[in-house]
Amino acid sequence: MENASKSPLANEPLLRIEGVSKIYDGHIKAVDQVTLNVASGEIFALLGGSGCGKSTLLRMLAGFETPSQGRIYLGGTDITELPAYQRPINMMFQSYALFPHLSVSDNIAFGLRRDGMAKEAIAERVEAMLKLVQLSQYAKRKPHQLSGGQQQRVALARSIAKQPKLLLLDEPLGALDKKLRVSTQIELVNIIEEVGVTCVLVTHDQEEAMTMATRMAVMSAGSFLQVGSPKAIYQQPNSRQVADFIGSVNIFDGPVKENHTNYVLVQCADALLRVPHSQPCQDGMGVGVAIRPEKMALSRKKPSAKVNHVAGVVVEMAYFGAHTSYHVKLASGKVLQVQVQSHADEDNADLCWGDQVYASWADNAMVLLTQ
Amino acid sequence: MNSTALKWFGRSWMLLVYAFLFLPIFTLVAYSFNDSQLVTVWSHASLRWYKALMHDRDLIAAVMLSLKIAFLSALVSVFFGLFSAFALHRYRRFTGRGLLSSLASTPLVMPDVIVGLSLLLMLVSVQQALGYPERGLFTILLGHALLGTAYATVVVRSRLTEMDSKLEEAAMDLGCRPWQVFTLVTLPLLMPALLSAFLLTFTLSFDDVVLSSFLSGPGYSTMPMVIFSRARLGLNPSINALATVTIVVVSVVVFASTLYSLRQARQRKRDMALAQRE
Repeated sequence: MENASKSPLANEPLLRIEGVSKIYDGHIKAVDQVTLNVASGEIFALLGGSGCGKSTLLRMLAGFETPSQGRIYLGGTDITELPAYQRPINMMFQSYALFPHLSVSDNIAFGLRRDGMAKEAIAERVEAMLKLVQLSQYAKRKPHQLSGGQQQRVALARSIAKQPKLLLLDEPLGALDKKLRVSTQIELVNIIEEVGVTCVLVTHDQEEAMTMATRMAVMSAGSFLQVGSPKAIYQQPNSRQVADFIGSVNIFDGPVKENHTNYVLVQCADALLRVPHSQPCQDGMGVGVAIRPEKMALSRKKPSAKVNHVAGVVVEMAYFGAHTSYHVKLASGKVLQVQVQSHADEDNADLCWGDQVYASWADNAMVLLTQ
Repeated sequence: MNSTALKWFGRSWMLLVYAFLFLPIFTLVAYSFNDSQLVTVWSHASLRWYKALMHDRDLIAAVMLSLKIAFLSALVSVFFGLFSAFALHRYRRFTGRGLLSSLASTPLVMPDVIVGLSLLLMLVSVQQALGYPERGLFTILLGHALLGTAYATVVVRSRLTEMDSKLEEAAMDLGCRPWQVFTLVTLPLLMPALLSAFLLTFTLSFDDVVLSSFLSGPGYSTMPMVIFSRARLGLNPSINALATVTIVVVSVVVFASTLYSLRQARQRKRDMALAQRE
């Protein structure tokens, strides 16, 4: 009885995308068979370069494009065919798309008026929204009388004023300069969490995706390469493309020499690597091994272990305060990026251009990539 | 040639061009205050021809007719121009789109004489078949609206092209039905373009003589037609007076609108600079 009263909707994710494709001109697949669930309260990021299909997918969620195949469900209801103006979904546009002929408060009230809300209720909501984004004293201004950051906040207020079930953010910080971005990122997430709205955002900036999202998908050529938490994707990329796209990475190539149950020995040009087993592979198969620059250590002394270190010459170094970044040229000609925390190793303090060094790392710093 | 000589050459060339452009107008204005019967002989200053103008019923009637036709044809042109531009901009594929697009711009390149002649032939045969329309205000209006629609379409369409299409999407996203998107967002943003299309088509109609000559009937002479026909009989100095009045009105309107838009642009720039500094 307990189970019967619980409708199947109880387990239904807020947003369910089922095998959605968008095909232009009969053969160009902008989005290719994408399936995704987004739970209520999540901030989900679609990350990818330009032309990867992330914007098209977002536009299909907003209702500006209709999928060629597949269905989209919101809270269990099929919204695939629903026009944009009937969806309980609102979008914050990349260039904000604020109405230039309306004041800040009229911009925010725009959507509420379409719903036929009472005048007093609208005024109240607009005031609350202005307070939320800290723009109360700018209510009467026109968009062009605001700075970029203020415009961005008006756009946010307008898109959440209708209390949508799903909020879409298209490159939310794309139009801001670098300095403003970091502070705005945090502010934006705070507001979204305060309102408690589920959110799908599109970005080409991996930092933005990682700091804002609870979960993200890396997209390429219309489909998902990997879906997971930012941490999982950073630590355990499932392909060369993902590893390369998220942060900086060093990738060694080589054939599998020995395939053991717990680890694989990979013979690279510069070293023998003992890599934890994460993906199935066979002897002799060509694989890649990814190591993040910050997981390496530099030393003048040769490490005692037989595996997981290389020798090279420092060809470039840059001091960043908290860390120092080195470029180490190996015998094979490959240039390794290494990042060393400033306080980590006093031994490195006097490393200089042209010095002979050894870079070494732990087994679990490496990820095996078979594709 | 050294640089001073070049500079002087440049200056005198500029002066020559300005003289070429504006000397005739200045002469015309000056001679409108001339007392003499003859247009080319100066006697002494007077307002005689302005008084004559006030009592020239034919000329005043012609001016009123021209204003009426210009106003109405500008309204009609902007109305149809708006919708044809919107259709061409918004709907990328529909039957007859190419035809509409080229038809809408044909009157821009077709000589007025040809347009006037073909319209006349058509109207004559329609009148023979149906007994309507009599040539007069309505037929002139039709011709001017035809030409004006083409210009208005071009003006509105160029504004639509540079308008951010995201604004319309944002309106739809916030719950606007398509017609609400049009009335609440597209139309207000098009207002400046509609205004300039109106002024352009008004002017086009006001100074058109070719189409009007083909399409007018007895008792319907527009101002340019009257000036033109009087010029053939020997110019009457009251025409100079009328021209001067027209020039003054046009100059005032143009000056005021330029000043207004300049101040707007400056204010906008200042606002934006201020917003960035905060």
